[in-house]
Amino acid sequence: MSDSFTTPTTGVQRRAFLRFSAAAGIAAPLSLSLASCAASGSGPTDAGSAPAATGEASADNPFGVAEGSSVEAVIFDGGYGIDYATFAASIFEEVRAGSTVEVTGSTQIAQQMQPRFVGGNPPDLLDNNGANAIGLSAIVDGLEDLSDLVQAQNLEGTVIADTLYPGVLDVGMYNGKLAALNYVLTVYALWYSQTLFDENGWTPPTTWEEALELGAAAQEQGKYLFTWGTEAASYYLTLAVDSAIKEGGDEVRLAMDNLQPDAWSLPAVQSVLAAMEQVVERGYMRPGGAGTQFTAAQAQWSQAQEALLYPSGSWIENEMAEQTLEDFQMTGAPSPRVSEDSTLPYESIRNTPNEPFVVPTAAANAAGGKEMLRIMLSPETATEFARTKLASTIVRDTVPPDAFGSTALASQIAMLEAAGDQTFSWNFVATYGMTPQVNVLWNSFLSGQSVAADLASGMQALFDGIREDDAVVKIEIS
Amino acid sequence: MTGVAPLKSGAPADGGPAPPPAAPARRRGRRAGFDRVSLIVVFVGVPFAGYVLLVLYPFTQAAFYSLTAWTGFSPDQPFVGLDNYTRIFADNLFLQALGNSVLLLVVVPLVTLTLSFALAALVTFGGPTTGAVRGLGSSSFYRVVSFFPYVVPAIVIGIIWSQIYNPANGLLNGALTTLGLQRFQDFAWLGQADTAMAASTVVIIWSFIGFYMVLFVAAIKGIPAELFEAARLDGAGRLRSAVHVAIPGIAGSIRTAYIYMGILALDAFVYMQALNPSGGPDNSTLVITQQIYRTAFSQGQFGLACAMGVVLAVVTFLFVAAIFTVSRLLRGPLESRT
Repeated sequence: MSDSFTTPTTGVQRRAFLRFSAAAGIAAPLSLSLASCAASGSGPTDAGSAPAATGEASADNPFGVAEGSSVEAVIFDGGYGIDYATFAASIFEEVRAGSTVEVTGSTQIAQQMQPRFVGGNPPDLLDNNGANAIGLSAIVDGLEDLSDLVQAQNLEGTVIADTLYPGVLDVGMYNGKLAALNYVLTVYALWYSQTLFDENGWTPPTTWEEALELGAAAQEQGKYLFTWGTEAASYYLTLAVDSAIKEGGDEVRLAMDNLQPDAWSLPAVQSVLAAMEQVVERGYMRPGGAGTQFTAAQAQWSQAQEALLYPSGSWIENEMAEQTLEDFQMTGAPSPRVSEDSTLPYESIRNTPNEPFVVPTAAANAAGGKEMLRIMLSPETATEFARTKLASTIVRDTVPPDAFGSTALASQIAMLEAAGDQTFSWNFVATYGMTPQVNVLWNSFLSGQSVAADLASGMQALFDGIREDDAVVKIEIS
Repeated sequence: MTGVAPLKSGAPADGGPAPPPAAPARRRGRRAGFDRVSLIVVFVGVPFAGYVLLVLYPFTQAAFYSLTAWTGFSPDQPFVGLDNYTRIFADNLFLQALGNSVLLLVVVPLVTLTLSFALAALVTFGGPTTGAVRGLGSSSFYRVVSFFPYVVPAIVIGIIWSQIYNPANGLLNGALTTLGLQRFQDFAWLGQADTAMAASTVVIIWSFIGFYMVLFVAAIKGIPAELFEAARLDGAGRLRSAVHVAIPGIAGSIRTAYIYMGILALDAFVYMQALNPSGGPDNSTLVITQQIYRTAFSQGQFGLACAMGVVLAVVTFLFVAAIFTVSRLLRGPLESRT
């Protein structure tokens, strides 16, 4: 291209063209804003389309899967991949000779499944997880009750319910129905490097007072107590709620999970927030978290060791596997208490399993979906999952004492054993899709731009808004 | 149309005695009719059918959903009238998102196009004032360089910039602290309510300046060079040439660019989702499109989301109407001057 002027062209054509392109431009935002709402399935269809003929139910075929039937499983292709499901599928095809299982991976669950739920042809088994999961309350009425699944026998003849860790089904209960089976055991803890702590003679804090002392010790070495990332500020909500539940017991848990009007003014909650406010005020949070991508923030803890502790679920080891210092020896400890005479003991821990599997009622082969879950909950498949993923399923006794060499998995099992039946579960953030709004409030608080009182009133306002919104299906927790 | 008219007017002009004028006219009419019909079917009918099916129908459908409490995941679409609209206009978060989108709509096109025009002026007629009217030396190099960001996909731009803004080891804080500005140590550009929106806006502007510069360069080259020369002989400097020759000469391009850029600013989804997926500190970077996405897919309220979509469409219409009105009002005085 030269920079001199070309022969003048007629302005008319150009102008006419531009006018046309402007008109075309108007169509673009419309399709953007409106077409995104369109349903691809055309309206209500034959929702009750005939489910595949079921076969005879018997002890080794509890749901009556038809001979030679086919099963479609859609699995969230996230941290755990989908190969554990294909492994289960191969066993399915052995056990039910002649049948086929098709396993598909997806990270766009809501987008891909939405037209299928509307059209009445959802998959037989769905792992509804990840950033694009469907808010369960939106589909709960169209899901099978999985109670008969946990009452059935696994492939070795033991009733499934008797093989599970205590309390792991609670999170899948929706108003009295076991709508989702959360497959992977997830313990929420404070994670640290055993090596670093041993070198300095530190121990994980059991109370917030000890946490502040540890923060001071960290500061002496130019380190921080905690770090956080902008999308994962909600992990500190988890820490706060866990700690408050230990302090105040079921009263706090129920107030939180049922979004009650006084939830954030309960004394137990207030005392935890006051302690965390101290952490922020004394500069024990690594600054800049509100603008840092969360895995980068986690690497500040696991690789650069600028922070001593990180509150997270037990997926953290897997997630940071590539960005963890050698000989880090990732270990978990229960969240700290406020006082020595708390309602629940220090060892009590939040155990809210993850990877919710659901079986839609309208599925062509719902019995096949349940059968697939029954196989996944059998010892052989569950052990294979633990071995390859370094994470435990909700099935007990699938992790050997050496935990396949993983310190994090070993400490997860140790924490669960120490807690015994003193585990608790809550899930309001996921149930009502609150993560984005929660992150906004917690980012402000952790970066020192708001104080505990602002945080509490902001969280309460969020609770009140959802509780009083008639359009949101509420899940009553007891 | 113009192709048909001469045929008709030509018929009586024959003036021959033998055939009654009606017959050939009818024959010609039939031929013309076939031409016309095939033209209409192929060039109007087919696209229009596609438009109705793929554009108008989904719009109407979405407008209908906005009157229902459809969750998006069930076949039931309970009709609730205008409830969704009263709800979103009582919802502070939606109003904040609407406000943020309107803010982007005002700022982004204005700043982007002003800068693009300035650059385009430099590389077309902003060069030496002696000799032929031309741009700065090696201006084609600048043109290529500034077009670069447009080649990079939006999501990649978002990711690159979120690294540049990284408080701990980002390029920006690194540069500022090297210059001795220690207060920018660990400064969270995207994490402070007072800087997040500005920081995000810079990213959008940065990625489009080059494209519109190239567009304006092409348009300015369509202006006869003698106009610039005449202006210069009359003693006009670069600024005066820009305001009184270049801008009136490319008014149509500017208007089109303004509309496109405004529409992009109303969308802004990819940039905002990449830079601050949760809506930014105090929701200061939350835009309507993010709110629509969140309401529909993670909160399972498609009816409500569709109502938000309709509001966004109305805002877009108002914006386009405003731009056409302004450009019509300006056209009079500007064109009379050239």
